[in-house]
Amino acid sequence: MEEKVMLVDVSKCTACRACQVACKQWNRLPAEKTEQMGTHQNPPDLTWATWNLIRFTEVPIKEGNMKWLFRRDACLHCTDAGCMRACPVPGAIFRTLQGAVVINQQLCIGCKMCVNACPFEVPRINAETNRAYKCTLCWDRTSRGLIPACAKACAMGTLTFGNKDEMVKRAYARAKVLGEKASVYGDKYVDGTHVIYVLPENIRLYEKLTINPSIPLSVILWKDVLKPLSVLAIGATLVGTFFHYILKGPKRPEEGGNEHG
Amino acid sequence: MAKPKNLIQASTAFERVIHWVLGGSCLFLFLTGFGLMFHSLSFIAKLFPPIPYLAAGGHESMKLFHNLCGLLFAVSFLPALLIWGKDTLFINKEDIEWFKVMGGYLWEVENVPEAGKFNSGQKVFFIALLFVWLIMVGTGIFMWFPVLGPFLTRWLYVFHVLGVLILGSFLVIHFYLGTYGNPGTFQVMGHGYVTKAWCKKHRPKWLKDVEAGRRSI
Repeated sequence: MEEKVMLVDVSKCTACRACQVACKQWNRLPAEKTEQMGTHQNPPDLTWATWNLIRFTEVPIKEGNMKWLFRRDACLHCTDAGCMRACPVPGAIFRTLQGAVVINQQLCIGCKMCVNACPFEVPRINAETNRAYKCTLCWDRTSRGLIPACAKACAMGTLTFGNKDEMVKRAYARAKVLGEKASVYGDKYVDGTHVIYVLPENIRLYEKLTINPSIPLSVILWKDVLKPLSVLAIGATLVGTFFHYILKGPKRPEEGGNEHG
Repeated sequence: MAKPKNLIQASTAFERVIHWVLGGSCLFLFLTGFGLMFHSLSFIAKLFPPIPYLAAGGHESMKLFHNLCGLLFAVSFLPALLIWGKDTLFINKEDIEWFKVMGGYLWEVENVPEAGKFNSGQKVFFIALLFVWLIMVGTGIFMWFPVLGPFLTRWLYVFHVLGVLILGSFLVIHFYLGTYGNPGTFQVMGHGYVTKAWCKKHRPKWLKDVEAGRRSI
């Protein structure tokens, strides 16, 4: 199956939140008690039951005016995914043939390692079930030829879904149209994300958008350096003691000693 | 156990029980920890049944047992510190001399500095154990209850594995020197009695102290 990418053209978003609702509906996620934060952002953050959230950012500009920035936030489905590197259970976080990263709650053990290893702070824990949840890029739809529920609901053309090469090309073409400040976010990080943004404004203006995301150094030290080194060290001491026994031999008490170990 | 003829008591019953609890919990932590760290060893998780209301079996039960056993390991080290701390934590000039000849373990040495209850290598092992105990308990508790936030918590994983590396290597040597490497030694942890010849070889200074009545064990 061909690798698929979701393109989020933020410049077209009107913050209608149809995607947010469609996500809840398709994935049967319950409504939650929310909190009035003084913005339209609702709920205030991603939760175990809100996998897709429109973030509202107010940016003051000259003469008392402001810019109102909207961004659909959800899992970016990294090619080199921190959550997958960290997960201790085989298959609990798996990659679909189209490139999406999916948590299987049947196998998840609630250890929260994915929560801590994600450079985007995406996976969330349901305290009641102690399982991690996040966007699946609707792999249950896309594997049957449908597009994700959020993209289906998007009336503005902000969310589009298609073959990777085509979407990346389209993203750069759109950024060019939007002018100098615009940029493409995603294809250059963590070996390419499967959700790519076209951002009309400077990256730094968007709330909770990680600047230069990468696999955290700690996760690399943990999984790629110390984990193999620990096996190497234990193996080396095993070999060392073996050769000590056959070359130097045991330290026996002098005459009359009890010889059995 | 009645005192066997011609043998000398090298450890108290309390010492031996604590050693087994500490060592047993440590081995169990290694087993379950490796089952969590390596996908290739995930078959270990199959040994763990579901626990009603707490864990669904497999990895989740294994992790629960790992955490609970961590508590046992954490607590059982406290009496260990009390029993062995005074004989192991203080390094002096003689220990430096001992390490200059590596206690006679690696090459032929005429005069190895006389060891007390523990030789210098054992002292360093216990100091390393104390160090690793601090790391494992300190990081483990906040991995179980990750209240420190993602950034700090993922650094805890790094130090937890570092502890595995250090303790794992020390333990292989500890097992070897406690069994095949030093015949007769295992009974210090077994029934507790050793021969006089063993004492002369491995803890001569301690033997003199015991014979002179300066210390009981």
